[in-house]
Amino acid sequence: MSYAVGDALPPFVIESVSTEAMKQWAVFLADPNPIHLDVEVVKAKGLGDRVINQGPINVAYMMNMLFAAFPGCRIEVMDSRFLDNVYGADKAIANGTITAIDGNRIDCELTLTVEGRGVVNSGTATITV
Amino acid sequence: MSDEAELPPAPAVAGTSLDGTKIFTITAEENAALCRSTGIEPAADGTAHPIYYYIATQVAMGKTVAGVCETCEFDVDDGPMMGSSGVKFSRPMKVGESYKVTGEILGLVRKRSRKLGVMDVLTYRLRLNTLDGEQVLETDNVWVLPRKELA
Repeated sequence: MSYAVGDALPPFVIESVSTEAMKQWAVFLADPNPIHLDVEVVKAKGLGDRVINQGPINVAYMMNMLFAAFPGCRIEVMDSRFLDNVYGADKAIANGTITAIDGNRIDCELTLTVEGRGVVNSGTATITV
Repeated sequence: MSDEAELPPAPAVAGTSLDGTKIFTITAEENAALCRSTGIEPAADGTAHPIYYYIATQVAMGKTVAGVCETCEFDVDDGPMMGSSGVKFSRPMKVGESYKVTGEILGLVRKRSRKLGVMDVLTYRLRLNTLDGEQVLETDNVWVLPRKELA
């Protein structure tokens, strides 16, 4: 398969961010922060009216986009910036663009966008294919 | 004199050790559940989902999230926010492999922002090592700690 600088990668779409997954991740992360589990806590803190996805899940969505675009790739380096929250039931879309190619090493720019609210995560990654 | 210079200094926590004693092992069952929770199937080659870089280092570092906040004289209930996270892998993590964590706080810088008012920006570095001491990855995380009491 050939790649070129400027190529847009196929989007990885999460049709509805899962509140059940947030419960699982509270266990994975050993972090029972109630803003991920209890909508009443989110409301009381003035953070919205739906539970908030754990930040690392949003990074995982962008990683999954890379794996779908480059099957069998390895992530060497990745940076992510957390710009806004992702809420339960949001439709989230991970996108990427190739910014550089050096042999089997590919640099990409990444975004995670929530339908109706724009970019909530941005980042870069270097992968090997 | 800058506006920041008029604020009380942030706690001097740079250099605080985050070395852990816990051993973190990625099980096949948990890796599969984690992968499926994000919308993919687990890899067939024994590698773990790379987001375990964040999970393993957070779970096995020497302080809990609340403990890190306490070190920074910040109440975890006041809502620390993730600012950014970066990782450099030496190689992929593997299902069934066990790891330990070393690390330290790099800095805590007090700033004033239009959106959040006064905040402390915490940067810490963690390394994930096999039990033989091979470094598998290094990660730098940045948290934003809103200082409502100073706003």
